[in-house]
Amino acid sequence: MAFGTTGRILWVDLTQGTTYVETLDEATYRLYPGGKALGAYLLLRHLPANVDPLGPDNILVLASGLLTGAPFSTATRFSAIARSPLTGTYGESEAAGFWGPELKMAGWEAIVLTGRAPQPVWIHIRDDKVEIRDATHLWGHEPLEVQTAIRAETGDKVTRVLQIGIGGENLVRYAAITNDLRHYNGRNGMGAVMGSKLVKAIGVRGSGKWIQYAHDAQPVVELGRRLAKGVKEHPQSWDLQEKGTPGITSALNAAGILPTRNFHQGAFEGVDNIKWEAYEKELLTARKSCYACAVRCKREVRVDDRYQVSDQYGGPEYEAVSGFGSNCGVDDLQAIAKANELCNRYTLDAISTASVVAFAMECFEHGLIGLDDTDGVDLRFGHAEAMLQMVDMIAQRRGIGNLLAEGVKRAAQAIGGDAHFFAMHVKGQELPMHDPRGKFGVGLGYAVSENGADHLVAAHDPTLANAESVSFKGAMPLGIRVALPPRDSSRQKVVNYTIAENWNSAEKVIGLCFFGPAPRSYIQVEDVVMAVNAATGWGWGVNDILAVGERATNLARLFNAREGFGRADDRLPDRLFTPLENGALEGVALSRDDFERALTDVYDLKGWDTDTGVPTPQKLDSLGIGWAAEAADVT
Amino acid sequence: MRLHLGGHLNWYDAQRRTDVEVRLAERMPLLDLLHQLGVPRSEIIVAAVNGRAVPIEDAWVADGDRVDLYPPVGGG
Ligand code: SF4
Repeated sequence: MAFGTTGRILWVDLTQGTTYVETLDEATYRLYPGGKALGAYLLLRHLPANVDPLGPDNILVLASGLLTGAPFSTATRFSAIARSPLTGTYGESEAAGFWGPELKMAGWEAIVLTGRAPQPVWIHIRDDKVEIRDATHLWGHEPLEVQTAIRAETGDKVTRVLQIGIGGENLVRYAAITNDLRHYNGRNGMGAVMGSKLVKAIGVRGSGKWIQYAHDAQPVVELGRRLAKGVKEHPQSWDLQEKGTPGITSALNAAGILPTRNFHQGAFEGVDNIKWEAYEKELLTARKSCYACAVRCKREVRVDDRYQVSDQYGGPEYEAVSGFGSNCGVDDLQAIAKANELCNRYTLDAISTASVVAFAMECFEHGLIGLDDTDGVDLRFGHAEAMLQMVDMIAQRRGIGNLLAEGVKRAAQAIGGDAHFFAMHVKGQELPMHDPRGKFGVGLGYAVSENGADHLVAAHDPTLANAESVSFKGAMPLGIRVALPPRDSSRQKVVNYTIAENWNSAEKVIGLCFFGPAPRSYIQVEDVVMAVNAATGWGWGVNDILAVGERATNLARLFNAREGFGRADDRLPDRLFTPLENGALEGVALSRDDFERALTDVYDLKGWDTDTGVPTPQKLDSLGIGWAAEAADVT
Repeated sequence: MRLHLGGHLNWYDAQRRTDVEVRLAERMPLLDLLHQLGVPRSEIIVAAVNGRAVPIEDAWVADGDRVDLYPPVGGG
C-alpha cells in the first residue's frame, strides 16, 4: 500500500491468547485515516452498548495517525481509545513520544486489545512477530524497572515500551499509559482499561520506515528539513522550545485565568514561585524531544533538596504546575515536581489527580471530610505534604484514596452535601487548568467534548483575538476570518469554534502533536495539507482534512448517544457561573443564557439536533457515515 | 523603567531578554515605546503598569515604572 498506511491492524485476543490481522482497504482508510477516526470507527463497529469499561468486553485501541512516524516535527502522536471508565463515554487520549512511530515502523497501523488475560502479560512485537509473554514478575513494579527488564529480556536497548504502573493495575479511573517513561496517554482512564485486561506493557521494535508507505516521501523529507531549521524563526515554536508549556503560567495569571484554589480565583499570590523563571532556576536540567521533533518542548527536571525528584520521568507540564500549584494553593515548585513525578511513576493522569486533590482540599476545608477520613492528613489548601500523601493514597487506593481514585464526580456523590459544587468536571472528567470564564470557546470545548472536559478540543480564544497576530494569521487558511475577544460568546465565536474544533480533531486523526500546527505553533496549514497529500496521493484540500476531523467527532458523538448521553450532559460546572474572586477578571462569571444559546448554535452549525445534540441523518450521510446511525441505534 | 516581556514576547528582543531596562527621558505612550522596541502591538493581550492592568491604546509610561506585557497563549 502506498497511501501513508501500513494497512494492517493487529488484533490481540487476551482471553484466548491468540492474535489475528485485519487488513484495511483504501476506501475505509480514506474515511478513517488513523488515530481518533480509526479508533471511533472500531469502537462503534465492535462494541455493543453498555459494556463495563473495566470488564473483558471493552476493547482498547492503540492507533497511530496517518502521518505518525513521518520524518518531520510533531508527527509523533497516537491515540488510545476505549469506553472510558471515568466518564462512561467514548474515551480517548493522545500521546507523543516514540512508541507510535515505532508501531508504524513495525508495520502496524493499530493494535486492538480484546478480552482479558488469565494472568498479567506483556506483548512483544518485533515487526511481524507477536508474542504474548508472562508479566507476573513485572506486575507491581515501577515503569523504570519494567522498561529495564523488558529491554534486558528482548536484548534490545531501544525496545519502545508502552506500559502502566500501579495506578493502572489498581484501576484508578483516571490512570494513564506511559511510553518511554515520559510521554502519556493521560486522560480518560485508558491506563485503567489496560490494567483491567491485565496487560502490563507492550514492547515494540520495527525495522521499517515511514517513507516506504508514502505515496511520495520526498516533499515530506524536505518539509522535515525546513521545520528543523525553522523552530527558532517563529515566536511560538521558539517559545515552546525555550520554556515548554510551563512558559504560560504567568501570562494566565496576569490575564486573571490561572486556576487557583479549585477555580475559586484566577490569580495566585504565589505565582512568582511557580512561574517559568523559577522553574528554569529550580528544576530544569535538560530540554528533551520526541521522535524527529525539532520543537523539543519536553522538560527534564531533577531535585535533590526538600524533595528528591528523579530525572527519569520527565518534568511537569503547565497543567501540573497549575494543577498541583495554584489550584491546590501550593507555591513550592519542588513539591509540584514531586507530585508530578509520583503521577508519572504510578501512571496517574496528572490533570485529573491534581483536580481530585484540589476537590478533596475544598471538601476538607468545608468539613465535609475530616481528619478521620484522611488518616490524619491535614488536607487544607497550600499543604504540599498533604497533597503528596493524597497522590500516594490514590495510587494505592488506601484510605480515602480509594474513594478519590473514582474521580470527583463519584467521590462527590459519596460524600454528599455541597461536595457536588466542588467537583469540577464535565461528564465525569476533571477540568484542565484553563478557566472558561476568560476563554469562552474553551468552555464550549469542555462541554461539547465527547470525552469530558478537555483543553485540546477548542482553539484557545486569546490566540484568535487579534486579526494581526501571528496565531490568527496561522488560522486564517482554515476559514477563520473574524477576530473576537476571548470572552465573546456570539454566533460568530461559535463559527470560529467549530472550524478550530474540526482542525484539532483532525490533528488527532493524522497524528500531529497539538504543539506543531498553527494556530498554536509554527507548522502552517498549507504544509499539513501538503504532507497529507504527499503521504496519500489523494489530492485533498484543507476542507477534506477538516471533514476527517468532523467525521471522527461525529462517530464519537454517536457512540455517546448510544450510551444515553445528550444535551443535558454537555454542561459546565456550576462554579463557572459564579464570579471569580480576584485577579484581572474579578467579578466575572459565565452567563447561563449565553452558554445555552451558544450550545444551540454549536449543534446547529454542526448539523446536530438542537434539542438532543445527536447528529442528524443528513449530517451523517454528508460525512459518508450513514451506516453509523444504525450501529449507534439512533435512527 | 523595567519592562517584562512575558510568554513568547522576548522572541522580539534581539537578545531574547525577558526583562529589559529602558531609560525614558519623558513620559510617552506605551504604543510608542513598543514601536521603538520592535514588539508588535498585535502580539500583546495583557499589559500592566505597576501591577495594574491597563488598556494598551491609552496607556502612558514613565521612567521608574514597571511594565508587564503578555501575549495570547494557547493550550498547555
Ligand atoms: S512539540 Fe513537544 S510534545 Fe510535541 S512532539 Fe515535539 S517535543 Fe513532543
